[in-house]
Amino acid sequence: MSQTVLVCDDAIFMRTMITDILQQAGFEVVGEAETGREAVEKYRALKPDLVTMDIVMPDMGGIEAVREICKEAPEARILMCSAMGQQALVVEAIQAGAKDFVVKPFQPSRVLEAVQRVLG
Amino acid sequence: MDLSRYAALFLTESREQLGACGQALLEWERQPAALEPVVGLYRAMHTFKGMAAAMGYSNLTELAHRSESVLDLLRSDPAAGRELIDLFFRVVDGLEQGAAVAVEGGDPGLDFTPLLAELDEASVAAAPTGSWAIPAPTIAAPAEAARPAREVRVVIRPDAAMRGARALIALRKAESLGTVRAVRPAVTAFDQDGFDGRFGFALVSDAPEAEIVAAILTAGDVQTIEFSAGEATGRTGAAVERSRQIRIDLRRLDAMMNRVGELVVARGRLLELAEQSDSPELKAVAARIGRVTSDLHGEVTQARLTPVWQVFDRFPRVVRDLARQLGKRVRFEVEGEDTQLDRALLDDLGEPLIHLLRNAVDHGIEAPTVRQRQGKPEEGLIRVSATSDRSTVLIRVSDDGAGVDRGAVLAMAVKRGLLPPETADLTDEALLRILARPGFSTAQVVTDISGRGMGMDAVMSRLRSIGGGVDISTTPGRGSEFTLRLPMTLAIVRVLLARVGTERYAIPLSGIAETVDYHSDRVASLEGREAYILRERLVPTVRLREHLGARGQRPPGRSPAVIVEVGDRRVVVVVDAVLGQQEIVVEPFDAPKGMLPVFSGATILGDGVPALIVDPAALV
Repeated sequence: MSQTVLVCDDAIFMRTMITDILQQAGFEVVGEAETGREAVEKYRALKPDLVTMDIVMPDMGGIEAVREICKEAPEARILMCSAMGQQALVVEAIQAGAKDFVVKPFQPSRVLEAVQRVLG
Repeated sequence: MDLSRYAALFLTESREQLGACGQALLEWERQPAALEPVVGLYRAMHTFKGMAAAMGYSNLTELAHRSESVLDLLRSDPAAGRELIDLFFRVVDGLEQGAAVAVEGGDPGLDFTPLLAELDEASVAAAPTGSWAIPAPTIAAPAEAARPAREVRVVIRPDAAMRGARALIALRKAESLGTVRAVRPAVTAFDQDGFDGRFGFALVSDAPEAEIVAAILTAGDVQTIEFSAGEATGRTGAAVERSRQIRIDLRRLDAMMNRVGELVVARGRLLELAEQSDSPELKAVAARIGRVTSDLHGEVTQARLTPVWQVFDRFPRVVRDLARQLGKRVRFEVEGEDTQLDRALLDDLGEPLIHLLRNAVDHGIEAPTVRQRQGKPEEGLIRVSATSDRSTVLIRVSDDGAGVDRGAVLAMAVKRGLLPPETADLTDEALLRILARPGFSTAQVVTDISGRGMGMDAVMSRLRSIGGGVDISTTPGRGSEFTLRLPMTLAIVRVLLARVGTERYAIPLSGIAETVDYHSDRVASLEGREAYILRERLVPTVRLREHLGARGQRPPGRSPAVIVEVGDRRVVVVVDAVLGQQEIVVEPFDAPKGMLPVFSGATILGDGVPALIVDPAALV
């Protein structure tokens, strides 16, 4: 059975791109979320093996969502998706419980390496 | 089991832990709501408790334990504990002093009742909440103290994105194997722009090195992992460098250095003798001993190199306490704390650097209201940085405060007769010499904190004797910067040997411009003193024979002279004879009372006869 992923990003473009990369590598994208709040709710409902999380999202940002999710499920495997110059936020996300991060622009190989590290 | 043999180790390690406590407290004070500093403080306190318990120091253990319990309560809301930061500072002080007493067998006599009472009050005030997110502190503490702490240094690939965030992940991986402490630079520096992806920490873990390496590598983008206190170098690939470490008593290292110093001197004599002999075998053996001695000297020197953080670590606390006492707001930054310096030099630097820092807080940084009026941020900035190239270490202390008021210093110096009344302006060199004078202060009120100018002049003379120096640059309204230039090691100093009467004196080459023949037809007079016309300029003359009150008559005929130069000042020093250059090992030197303040050290020459080292700055 393939591993399940929840993709959280407020931009459809980014969600599509991440979904494509992961599906081609054999993952099953079981859900998408546009806001932090939605991410928390869908995590609860879907219990995916992996979450990709954008940092800046409306209605509860990604870091807050990480904190919420890890409070309920410390074992959650969350991969942060960030842009250059967001290092301080990434550090905060890791302190909140995120396991790894990738930096935009995404290179499929880099994303998959990070995913392997998170799931490994 | 006889625990006393662990006492020295306990003292060293507990200082590290309590140092970490101090760092965490400073960080907590800066960000009262952040969880990280409280967690860091808790961890360090916990580790200290474990070590104290292992040693059977029950009073220390009790104080650490009660502190830990209060910290536990604060975990859900660090900001609620901000009122307690001062109490914790006092607890850390108490533990530090207590640890020193305990290793002498004095733990049963320690009385922490007042601190314990305050902690009790604090624990009532702090609302009880859940337990720690970090692994529950099982009191297998004695075992923990006995487990090895390894120094781990990690370098993140230079081309990696967000090296700071990557470093944090690597740290998390290490934490999964044991207790991580003494992270350098502090985790809070990881997301700063200047972070270069190099960091180090101590890891207390039973895991074999291979397992630690494997775990840290899973963080990704790791270039090297070293188990060593040495500087991590940029190697390609995930090469793993290991070096075994032992702790050596510093006194043993000092003794070794002294023996090697003697060996270096004896080598000089041996080479001289071999030179005069016609035995090729003797010449070959002497040359070989010469080379081996150089190598040995290099090795011992290397072994004495110590990262400057061992001294810098106490500075944040000093600055903080002082700023609070004086009602100033100061941000304190330290850079280059991994820079290495000879242990003996480093020990000597602690006090003078604290003196400079005190001056910076007291006289440099203005009161917040003053700064605001001048359009500066209310919070002043003081920075200590250490940098090094191949052979020189530069330590800078800078502040963005008021700068030194040259006018005021000049007026005060003239009033005290330190400078002639017609002096129009002060060069940096002159300014430094005046500021370094014991007791010189322009402060309106001499506080009990600084303004006593202690030690600075001694430091300057010590630095010059080993070929270093001090520079100042200051701009009114913008701040000051003091730069200490030091040789990285107390290696051999090159000197010019000069003879006066029957004595030989060593003058460091760093203070010599040239040597000339002293022609009587070029002697002139400057302000009633003898002077010499040197390339159409009048330079004051110092006759070393008269200056030192040497007995006997000057030999007839022309005298050689040494042009001594310090900063922008020169003198012509007349001696009986110039004997040539030599390498010497500088020995510590306490000038006997009543001796002229002309000498900065002593040395033993190749033939075993001692010679005094002349401080060039004392002549100009």
